[in-house]
Amino acid sequence: MLFRTSFIFLACLFAAGHAVGAASPAEPFRVGERVLPLLEKYCFDCHDADKQKGEVRLDSLQGIALDARLDLLNRVQEQVYFGEMPPKKKEQPTEAERSLLNEWLGKELRAHNASKLEDKLRMPEYGNVVDHDKLFSGKYKDLPGFTPDRRWLISEFIFDAKFNKLLDYTGQRDIDRKRYQVIGDNGRNGVKVNLTNPFLLPTHSGVRYYDTATLDGGHLLTMITNAKEASEYLITLAKRKNYMPAVAAILGQEWEHEKIVAARESYLIANIEQMLRDLYQEKHESLLPVFVPSKPPPPAPTVGPDGKPLKKPIFDTAKPSNDELSEIWAAVRRNSKEGEGQDALIVKCERDWFHFGVNERTIQTRVAFMHGYIEDLHKKMPKAPESKSKPPADSELAVLRTALLKHRKAGDTYSAVIAKCLAEWSGQFRQEREKKSTTDEAFGKLVEELFTKIIERVPTSQEKAEYFALTKSYVTKIGNENAIDRLIQTLILRTDFVYRQEFGEGTADALGRKMLSPRDASYALAYALTDSSPDKELAAAASSGKLNTREDYRREVERMLKVRSQYYLIDEAVDRVGHDSFTNIPIRKIRFFREFFGYPRMLSIFKDNKRFGGNYVNTSGQFVSEADMLVEFILKQDQNVFERLLSTEVFFVYHSGDNAAMTTATELIRKIYEYFKDKDWQNFDAEKLTVHISFLKENPMPGLNLEVIGKVGGRSDQVKIFQGMMTDYTQRLGKGPTVTAPFSSVFGVPSAAKTRTGKNLGGAEVAKSFNLDMTSWNYPATQPAKMANRKGMLTHPAWLIAFAGNTETDPIRRGKWVREKLLAGTIPDVPVTVDAVIPEDHHKTLRQRLDKVTQVEYCWKCHERMNPLGTTFEMYDDFGRFRTEESLEHPDNLVKKMPDKGAPQADLRDIYKTLPVNATGRLEGTGDPALDGDVKDAIDLAGRLAKSTKVRQSIIRHAFRYFMGRNEVLSDSKTLIDADQAYVQSGGSFDAVIVSLLTSDSFIYRKPANN
Amino acid sequence: MKTRRDFLKSTVIGAGALSLTPYFHAFGAASADSGLPKRFVFIRKSNGERPNEVALPSLSASDKALEDKKQPLELDLRDKELPLYLRALDKHKDNLCILQGLSCMMSENGHYSYSSVMGAYKSNRNSLSGIKRATIDFELAKLFPSPFGHVELSLTGDYAKYRSGIVSGYSASGPHQRNYCYADPQTAYNELFRAVTNPGAVDSDNAMLSFLENEESFKARILQGYEKQKLSSHITSIEGIRARNLKLSIMAGSIAKHIPTIGKIHADGGPNASSMEKQDAMTDILIAALITGLTNVVTYTIDELSTPVRGLPGNENDRISIHAIGHNESYSGVPADKIRENIRMTHVQQIARIVDRLKAVPEGKGTMFDNTMIMYFPEGGETHHGWGYEAPFVILAGNNCKLNLAGRYIRLPYHASEGHKTIGNWYTTLLNAHGNPIKHYGDFDLEMSRKKLDQAGAIKQFLG
Repeated sequence: MLFRTSFIFLACLFAAGHAVGAASPAEPFRVGERVLPLLEKYCFDCHDADKQKGEVRLDSLQGIALDARLDLLNRVQEQVYFGEMPPKKKEQPTEAERSLLNEWLGKELRAHNASKLEDKLRMPEYGNVVDHDKLFSGKYKDLPGFTPDRRWLISEFIFDAKFNKLLDYTGQRDIDRKRYQVIGDNGRNGVKVNLTNPFLLPTHSGVRYYDTATLDGGHLLTMITNAKEASEYLITLAKRKNYMPAVAAILGQEWEHEKIVAARESYLIANIEQMLRDLYQEKHESLLPVFVPSKPPPPAPTVGPDGKPLKKPIFDTAKPSNDELSEIWAAVRRNSKEGEGQDALIVKCERDWFHFGVNERTIQTRVAFMHGYIEDLHKKMPKAPESKSKPPADSELAVLRTALLKHRKAGDTYSAVIAKCLAEWSGQFRQEREKKSTTDEAFGKLVEELFTKIIERVPTSQEKAEYFALTKSYVTKIGNENAIDRLIQTLILRTDFVYRQEFGEGTADALGRKMLSPRDASYALAYALTDSSPDKELAAAASSGKLNTREDYRREVERMLKVRSQYYLIDEAVDRVGHDSFTNIPIRKIRFFREFFGYPRMLSIFKDNKRFGGNYVNTSGQFVSEADMLVEFILKQDQNVFERLLSTEVFFVYHSGDNAAMTTATELIRKIYEYFKDKDWQNFDAEKLTVHISFLKENPMPGLNLEVIGKVGGRSDQVKIFQGMMTDYTQRLGKGPTVTAPFSSVFGVPSAAKTRTGKNLGGAEVAKSFNLDMTSWNYPATQPAKMANRKGMLTHPAWLIAFAGNTETDPIRRGKWVREKLLAGTIPDVPVTVDAVIPEDHHKTLRQRLDKVTQVEYCWKCHERMNPLGTTFEMYDDFGRFRTEESLEHPDNLVKKMPDKGAPQADLRDIYKTLPVNATGRLEGTGDPALDGDVKDAIDLAGRLAKSTKVRQSIIRHAFRYFMGRNEVLSDSKTLIDADQAYVQSGGSFDAVIVSLLTSDSFIYRKPANN
Repeated sequence: MKTRRDFLKSTVIGAGALSLTPYFHAFGAASADSGLPKRFVFIRKSNGERPNEVALPSLSASDKALEDKKQPLELDLRDKELPLYLRALDKHKDNLCILQGLSCMMSENGHYSYSSVMGAYKSNRNSLSGIKRATIDFELAKLFPSPFGHVELSLTGDYAKYRSGIVSGYSASGPHQRNYCYADPQTAYNELFRAVTNPGAVDSDNAMLSFLENEESFKARILQGYEKQKLSSHITSIEGIRARNLKLSIMAGSIAKHIPTIGKIHADGGPNASSMEKQDAMTDILIAALITGLTNVVTYTIDELSTPVRGLPGNENDRISIHAIGHNESYSGVPADKIRENIRMTHVQQIARIVDRLKAVPEGKGTMFDNTMIMYFPEGGETHHGWGYEAPFVILAGNNCKLNLAGRYIRLPYHASEGHKTIGNWYTTLLNAHGNPIKHYGDFDLEMSRKKLDQAGAIKQFLG
């Protein structure tokens, strides 16, 4: 059993093993002689035969069945451990007495492997259970830190990185107009493998990736199919390039034969008609199958039964496929003859295809298409002649001719003849291969190669022998290729493919701790900062004895933190909907803050365009993208990171992150506007617009195609586009701003700015959540820029939406987040007896309704830890908009219905009656009298939180959990204090925190799990 | 430690593991009343389903007025003429329900819905993280376990060619979990009936699992506590799969009696097969999968905008783009609406075949169809570029169906009005009726929320 909780440690301090009562499943149950008086003193008053409060009776534990007793002891253990019992009003046990009770309960339950509390205490949601003051008091800093030896299930991100590496796939993006390899792309474009990721992390905010997950049946079933998919692809890869030489050594001859057969087939397909003519001369025609041309279809009606004209599909929609089109064009080239009609041409093509043996339905589809689109076919036919493949050597030609003569029968189509030839050659080659057997040496190399590629280490001699025997047994049953396929699957299904290994190695110190083995250390460090296996330098350090000391760790961590040449995809969901989501700082660094704050969760909250007053659906990704940019911006400066994240007043709002490019885009708009504003542009026609073409060439207006001015109408009428854009510019720049945001409000016209990956910069309506009037917004091209009524990430719309419901704010969850994440506090689970619903009343604000239901005594003892913090955020609505009045959204309160559609800058929200917002609250729990107390609103709160030592330490605790993958215990006290001091002494560097944590005893030392 | 039974109960079932997911009928929960499982077939179609095309053609003036105004309406189907494309179901009117008025605005609409129409969420253009929950078919599959748990089939393409092999599907076994599907009849046949068609492959699966079990057991011997548990649950899972493989092999004889013959035209993905030939073969496989008990839940994407329709009656020589007919383009002089109707007719003929076949197989005191529900519905609402205000469902329900809707034409109150129901309500109804007491499945409709209209829970009138 893994003891990872503080109470175990406390229990040890007071332990008197035998005195608390023997706990062996084989022995009869009895309450220890030192425990019974405690139960009598503190418990039996309420939980004896007479009272049985809460239907709990503790004076008859001996007499009840084992299952019932264990269930009861589990309930008691939680109450005692969390200090919920005895009730606050009753006499409390001393710390030593409570520890004694805990120890006894723990022993009894562990003896039956039944302690639910110990399982719970490993989980992230119980991270704050260890007393904060004790951890940072210094009283426990001499306890030796370590992490137990462990297997740690890979994360969803490592899964993708592992398979991408194994399948030799690297995602790519154009960033700032240069092509980069990007890690984190799980699209695997071009890799025909369907993988399902079974290692998904939970979706809560805070630290998500813990060492507590266990490989289960769901993982296995999914991995079996993944293994099958991957193995097939790997063999294809080995065939295509020299990716796995040992595989090629065994299957190479077979592949060579396949290549020969394929080359012969390809040559025959292109040349069989000519070859047969040459071979059979005048007899050739008589041996062909009899061709009867199909009747040309009657002309298709051009009007429907209702007399209305029918819309014919355009050429590209109607074409059978690009491959088919090539076949048609090839036939047209072969058969076109000057002066011959189109019908005759089509018949000749049809005959060609018939003689070849093309499927009848395919022929008819080609013919029908030719009849419908013959003119287009000629017009669009590529002019370049088809490249002819080089003829094979004479000896090969002889083989082909011999086979053709052997297999051709009267009435055969060409494809039937080819099929017979191919079957003969394949059979001959198979026989040839069967005469030679693969050597054991080749299989030995195969095992070593595949093991190294998949498990990323050389197999031990025992593993080599076992896998060699396994391979041979596969070969005997299913042949070479299938055996290799199966061997790959077997290796992928090993547990060490999906469990990270972190074990101590070498001599234990006086405290029984060993340092991580160099190999395991290299992976632990790599996975701490990235999702990938160790880079070359780290792997080299591990294999050359340079990963054996704390300084070695420090050197490698500091090196990796400085790497900026590698780009990572941050969030596939943001990337997929057209917004940038990449970084070049180690991905796990930025991911810590994404997960800690939890703002990406906003993407899964379904919200209403109408209530947003614009196109929220197309904007939501930009919120997350810009929140990421802000985090990255602060991390790159690496000074006072926590304070700035909590109190920054500058934000990115509709910005690519490239100040120069955004400035250029806004200046372009300004220049165009200034140039035309005093001209009579409202009455321009094509001719008048063309007068300004040289200016427009130098200053291209977004969406305007100078080549077609006056040549096309409708939506593509360039004069209309120009006038639409000028109207838009005039509306915005004519109102006073000197710079306007580079979005477009003209349908189909892109924004004037691109993202750094070259996409159209969308999501301009993020401005609405910052209360910016998009028609009069004096756009700051240099960002991040100051935004009114904001202070830190907790006032960023992305965070506010993430901690809101579909249609309302969520003060409780916001308050809970602050209590748990920043104040190291705990909130008990909602009791099962509570139906946690805020009552509807459309004459009251949400806060008024919330207060009514939560301020009753029974609820308030928990809600007082959340509500006074969460209600301060009521100064923002559920889209993160600052407000002083709350809109009472109910049909009865509707004041004005607004349009459902409009330009991006229009506010389409319906208008309802309002009530004033009360955003006051109270901060308790920083431990600092200068900070605790009544707060005016969320901005006041954020300012105080940013100054709090406890908040800083609370973030450090979360960073510990993130990089260690487990909850902290008292023996990690020194690690936490050191990390905190590293932060303070470095001027607020998060890199310093990471270096401190990854060089701490808690990280580098391991103990056997049962110790 | 988890027992094998625990493993079987907790296993994530899905096509992701189809190829080796073995038979575990013996472990499956049976319905409480008859001991027989319920079966569900979801048939997804693309290009929308226009409510006026689903409406009954010969309504009385008063009923037509209600229908046109989209007011609530309920009629006995048995004495009514069905729309032309549904005529293949004439003899099954007692089991037929045309359900109008459901909305699906909380799912992705427009051209594609991906997994969202069966999960009642926005899928964020099919991003993995947009998959919010297990889709309704997987939720039902959990209630009625079977060897394959859930089977997904599709006939989709890249506009020019049909897809083939095992490809990404449209269902989800859980959050962020995209399912796989069989994209051509031959692949579906090979994978589903492997215990019969390729017992050697099953043997070699078992040899691999046996090796892995021994290897991991050896490692686990020296471990204790939590670390031991990390391997032991995996070992138990391997044992579970081996045991179910064995049972599947034992079942091979009875499976062999029902497996269909697949024509040679379907070899190598069936590049030359017409759409109708593909549909026929897929239907044969679907029926056999149900009859053999390999699955109780099938999701079948019978077409998608990218499906290249070939061999359609009336357009035999055209390669029809469903997207193009969504934009009213005609082929060979046949108007788009007629082509759309012809395509729907081919779909409904397949549904009729499923009903006919299942009605011919005795089960309990009746037939297999008695315990089967088939739902035919659009993936993206009411039109080619659907909004989701309406998502008509055509439902076939056997005599033991737990829902009270067969034999009727039902139009529910229109979107965002009092009493309106969404696909979330519909799926909640399916789950509540079959043993999952969930309060509400799926995201809420935001306009309903804005108007403070009650929208949680099952459609009570169907549970009566």
